Amino acid sequence: MALLAQSLKRCLLETRYALPPTFLLPFRASITTVSQTLETRNIPEPLLQSGQHVSSDLEEKLKTSAADAAANSSAPSSKTKTGPYAREDKVATSITPSIQRLLPLLHSQPSHYITAHLHGHPYLLTRGDTVRLPFLMPKVQPGDILRLNRATHIGSRDYTLKAPEPTKGTRDVPKKIHYLDDRLFVCRARVIGVESEPMRVMKKTKRRQRYVRHVFSKHKFTVIKISDLDVRSLEDYQKRVKGGKAGPDLN
Amino acid sequence: MAYFRITLLRSAIGLPLKSRQTLSALGLKKRMATVYHPVTQTIAGQIMRVKELVDVAEVAEPKTVQQMREARRPDPGYYVEKTYGSGDRIV
Repeated sequence: MALLAQSLKRCLLETRYALPPTFLLPFRASITTVSQTLETRNIPEPLLQSGQHVSSDLEEKLKTSAADAAANSSAPSSKTKTGPYAREDKVATSITPSIQRLLPLLHSQPSHYITAHLHGHPYLLTRGDTVRLPFLMPKVQPGDILRLNRATHIGSRDYTLKAPEPTKGTRDVPKKIHYLDDRLFVCRARVIGVESEPMRVMKKTKRRQRYVRHVFSKHKFTVIKISDLDVRSLEDYQKRVKGGKAGPDLN
Repeated sequence: MAYFRITLLRSAIGLPLKSRQTLSALGLKKRMATVYHPVTQTIAGQIMRVKELVDVAEVAEPKTVQQMREARRPDPGYYVEKTYGSGDRIV
């Protein structure tokens, strides 16, 4: 009896020290478009498999896709330049090893969030969100479907795909924001309508004058609703990268 | 042809009238404003007058105000995929 108790105790102890204490485990696994081999290896194996069950065929798929990835890592760019003096924002175009490994896991999780950038401002969005934009969007009407194509983060409960940090501008070099490849995700928003704020009244006075002038203003804002937010699967993304399909595309 | 790119970094408040007038002659009205002028002796002398206030670089081509503004403008981040009532269906 005593022997059994001893072995049981040892078993317990071993399982306790197999993992580091919880406060040492990283809060969230991160994927970046920068190919940093160190960073992806930092994620401990138990954490990768803790969140959900990864089926064996998914793992197999991962291995095969990783093999043919090295061949087409230099992908055609999806850059759409507007003018010779326009600001150059970087959109990632290549499949990095960390995307290879972790995109299927991100794709397999049920719901996602995205940090989409509209006119350079970030919005943290998920499907079904209603956003009152701080401006009136020109040349759209209610019912139009917008495609949001600039994002810096896509995430699920356990994984986040991050774009590199923006580089600060100097007098010689303008600021550069690094965005995720727009072929990685599908984010659609429907224009719901136009909202307006209550009338603002500003009182303008002059010294030693009784007259008070009232200035009225009433701004309008576009309201959009995120109707569609999907992360593409690795195979789909690879197909698009290989085909060189970039910019406006249907689904 | 080479050009000076002159940026006003420090305000001319409290400086003699001559310095302030030099700045306005260069077309610098407020801080962080940038102007382009051809490299000539006249301009070089004007820069020397206000050298403590400005940042100067020599560039090959001047930029217009619109071009400078364009260089700061971020991507809109969206495009209209389908307008309301148009026939094409999204798969």
